[in-house]
Amino acid sequence: MKKILIIAKKEFLDMFRDKRTIMRMILIPLLAFPVIIYLVSSLQASQSEKEATKELVVGYYLNDQSSAMIDRMDTTAHFTFVPYIDTTSLSAAVSSDSINLGIWFSSSFDQNYEAREQGEYGIFYRSADLEEYDRFQELIKVQEEYLVQERLAQNELPSAYIQPLLLNTQGGNKSTMTETIAKYAGGILPYIFMAFCFMGCMLPAIDLFAGEKERGTIETLLVTPVNRVHILVGKMIVVTAFGLLSATVALGGLIGSLYLMEIDPQLNAIIAMVITPKLVVMLYLLLIPTAIFFAGIMIPVSVYSRSFKEAQSILTPLNMAVIIPTLVGFLPGIELDYTTAWIPIVNVVLATKAMIAGNPEIGPIIITFASLIFLSAIAVFISFKQFGKEGNVLR
Amino acid sequence: MIKVENLKKSFKLSAKQRKEFNTTDTEAKSVDGISFTCQPGKIFSLLGPNGAGKTTTLRMLSTIIKPTSGTIEIAGFNVDTQANEVRKRIGFLTGSTGLYERLTPDEILKYYADLNDVSKEDFEQRKQHYYDLLDMNDFAKKRIGQLSTGMKQKVSITRTMIHDPEVVVFDEPTSGLDVITAENIITLIRDCKTAGKTVIFSSHIMSEVDLLCDDLAIINRGKILYQDTMQNFRTNMKTANLTSEFIRIVNENQPVNA
Repeated sequence: MKKILIIAKKEFLDMFRDKRTIMRMILIPLLAFPVIIYLVSSLQASQSEKEATKELVVGYYLNDQSSAMIDRMDTTAHFTFVPYIDTTSLSAAVSSDSINLGIWFSSSFDQNYEAREQGEYGIFYRSADLEEYDRFQELIKVQEEYLVQERLAQNELPSAYIQPLLLNTQGGNKSTMTETIAKYAGGILPYIFMAFCFMGCMLPAIDLFAGEKERGTIETLLVTPVNRVHILVGKMIVVTAFGLLSATVALGGLIGSLYLMEIDPQLNAIIAMVITPKLVVMLYLLLIPTAIFFAGIMIPVSVYSRSFKEAQSILTPLNMAVIIPTLVGFLPGIELDYTTAWIPIVNVVLATKAMIAGNPEIGPIIITFASLIFLSAIAVFISFKQFGKEGNVLR
Repeated sequence: MIKVENLKKSFKLSAKQRKEFNTTDTEAKSVDGISFTCQPGKIFSLLGPNGAGKTTTLRMLSTIIKPTSGTIEIAGFNVDTQANEVRKRIGFLTGSTGLYERLTPDEILKYYADLNDVSKEDFEQRKQHYYDLLDMNDFAKKRIGQLSTGMKQKVSITRTMIHDPEVVVFDEPTSGLDVITAENIITLIRDCKTAGKTVIFSSHIMSEVDLLCDDLAIINRGKILYQDTMQNFRTNMKTANLTSEFIRIVNENQPVNA
């Protein structure tokens, strides 16, 4: 045990002095989310403001009908209405992008409306500028509501006449807030944890084995009176710890940035509700064997590789093997059960979702935990076998 | 003391390697039944061209790889069955030995001292001895990455000796070093002899062998071609100089196991 700690202590010191390690495992995970969130929210806010205040030029062809509706709409800010003499020229103007949108009325629009039938109209738009179409639709909806109210008033009918049903929403939703969050956004938490844990394990796994071979230090280490299992375990502790550290830093960065930037007070309240100390403890109980499993996958590759570059080129595509199953967490409808509990990575994601929802079934959780322990034990055994092969160590 | 008897090491050849070497053999014999003895207080040289089997032999002596057959005894312990006892008593230095670039000499020496169960007092005493002897005090706290090749070699020497090994193995220790840096290694080997340690070193530089060794063995293609004292080698030479004699023996290529 003493020798394991000596090796682990030295490897920690060595890794913490590596600028690449600090950059990739601490600074990037810590700053990734704050930077992304800041950029996305700033961009979104400025874009929304820009879109809302953008002047839209709408062409119209009355077709000898009343201009009352156009006159009402023409009072809306940021809209300008321009008359056209036929639908052909109106359509051409929208196609050529010289105006934003076009509206035309059928020759029987007024007559039909007066006869309490439907007045037909059409819109020319470009689906490439759908946000302009949506803004105009909002304007049309207001007009439609105006006309409905006008008809009801003419016939002395109350609004309820055309709304015969009234839905009482009070106390109807029996899902808790956390259940809803778990179903629709619960995948984000395990995704961040797994992705950053994998990336956090990768650099030390490569550096502590392939890197040691490349630097020519492995032989002198093997000549010391330390059992190879102890050397492996000492190094594995460091690989696993860096995976957990990277995941923790990333999650801390995400939560911290949401709080500090005060994007949405309601969101902060939800985070406080979801991320409880109990959840964090449970999450780490699942994540520790997962990190050992990741280390156990990476170490044999690193031991086999001749150089840092070779190990990196093999391990980087493996990232996808972790990311893709993690995305299952974003699919509603897939839940942790006695089948999914056996699928590595997927089970951790689903177990986390179940824990966030506060309704985890104990059986599948136990299977998840046991299968992770079993897999990590196999991965450690494979690592030991590979590390013991002199052909690999001196390759 | 080192006792090697009928030592063999073969490596399995992959299909790719068989194609590369143009052979149908499933394994390559790197060391093929060699025997020799190295006495305490003497320097034994393993001499041979590149690919002769020197490094493989020394790696087996140092417990890094296991022999296919044969026995090795180091300081009275069997390398195969008492590997840890052997490791406690062995120092290993090669010309290509690397050091941890992000650590300082102090940290590296402490690391290896701890791995070798050296007491704090012994560690401090030995460290200071080599720091003074090799003039290392000025760079003891600088990171290895900032040191020159000569400084790094001094750290490697101290690392090799920090647990005061009974047996010291040098695998082409001066390979790639300039004459001034190599001189530190030559001095170390001599000091080991004076201290009564068993020293084995491999080389293909005859001048180095002539300067240092008491006994030598010439190895090629995994077999010992010649084994005797350095004095007898010099006396029985059939050519004008040591290098020519070494080349003559290798070229005659008539392996005889001692």
